[in-house]
Amino acid sequence: MKVTLNRNVMENNDEAAAFNRDLFNKTQTLVINLMSSPGAGKTTILEKTIGALSGEFRMAVIEGDIATERDADRIRALGAPAVQIATEGECHLDPRMVAKVLPEIDLDTVDILFIENVGNLVCPSEFDLGQNHRVVVLSTPEGNDKIPKYPLMFHVTELALINKIDLIPYVAFDMDKAEKDLSGINPKSRLLPVSAKTGEGFETWLNWIKDAYQACVKQ
Amino acid sequence: MHEMGLMEDAIQIVSEDAEKHGFRNIDSVTLIVGDLSNVLPDALQFAFEAIKRSGESPLLSAQTRLDLIRERGRAKCTVCEIEYEPTQYLAICPECGMPFGVLLSGETFKIESYEGS
Repeated sequence: MKVTLNRNVMENNDEAAAFNRDLFNKTQTLVINLMSSPGAGKTTILEKTIGALSGEFRMAVIEGDIATERDADRIRALGAPAVQIATEGECHLDPRMVAKVLPEIDLDTVDILFIENVGNLVCPSEFDLGQNHRVVVLSTPEGNDKIPKYPLMFHVTELALINKIDLIPYVAFDMDKAEKDLSGINPKSRLLPVSAKTGEGFETWLNWIKDAYQACVKQ
Repeated sequence: MHEMGLMEDAIQIVSEDAEKHGFRNIDSVTLIVGDLSNVLPDALQFAFEAIKRSGESPLLSAQTRLDLIRERGRAKCTVCEIEYEPTQYLAICPECGMPFGVLLSGETFKIESYEGS
């Protein structure tokens, strides 16, 4: 017997994302989904960010990786709570994985939750985790081509941190071209050059987070 | 390779519905896959075969078939208003080069139907 369903395969994910978003709203938690290819510097950026904002905000991190607790350990070393999701093969975080670990974090005592996605410029862009903001990190040694090569990632994010600008003298990276490519794919996105190593550009990034937090609390 | 997780979701949705109908076996599953849905048909077939072999979905048998219906992508240019078939999610008009064409179809990824017995 034939049964017509007409049901969206992503419906479980959409429901989980809505559940997460509702919880984040109720607890007035600013949630930032941080994505990039492996090695672009997401964890180092988070270490610096947590170090700089720990006097002002209570922060927590959900780490997504294929395997190991290494990133969560780096965050815990700073005194911030971190939960590691080991996806065991999945190349991205989906909202159900996030919903599953949320009981491990007391959101009432957290102002800002960072979700560090699995290093990958493709699949993570397709999954809404229920976050307030999606941010992508691209590091200068990866080259300019990543922006036009992975358009969906730059299309769904609203801020592109260009990391490792301290390496610009040694690598071929053209910031003007990056700006032009990004505005062609997503005119609403903003490009922000930073160095997690030297701290250059961090003031603007930290101010962006503070503004985002104010907007989130006032909602 | 996110097709494995998506295929598992599809099988779960179908299995739950099939159980409600009292079916003992799912004979076939039909999905509609849009060209711009970021889902690869070959990878879906591969995932489907792997799930069948895993034995974790008791209503699937070696004979269960996966049928995929392709939905072509269509977009409309916001400037010259022509309709065209975009090659990627970010639709770029072949006439005037304007990006961000309004997508008319191709994003679908859904379970159209299944057959149970």
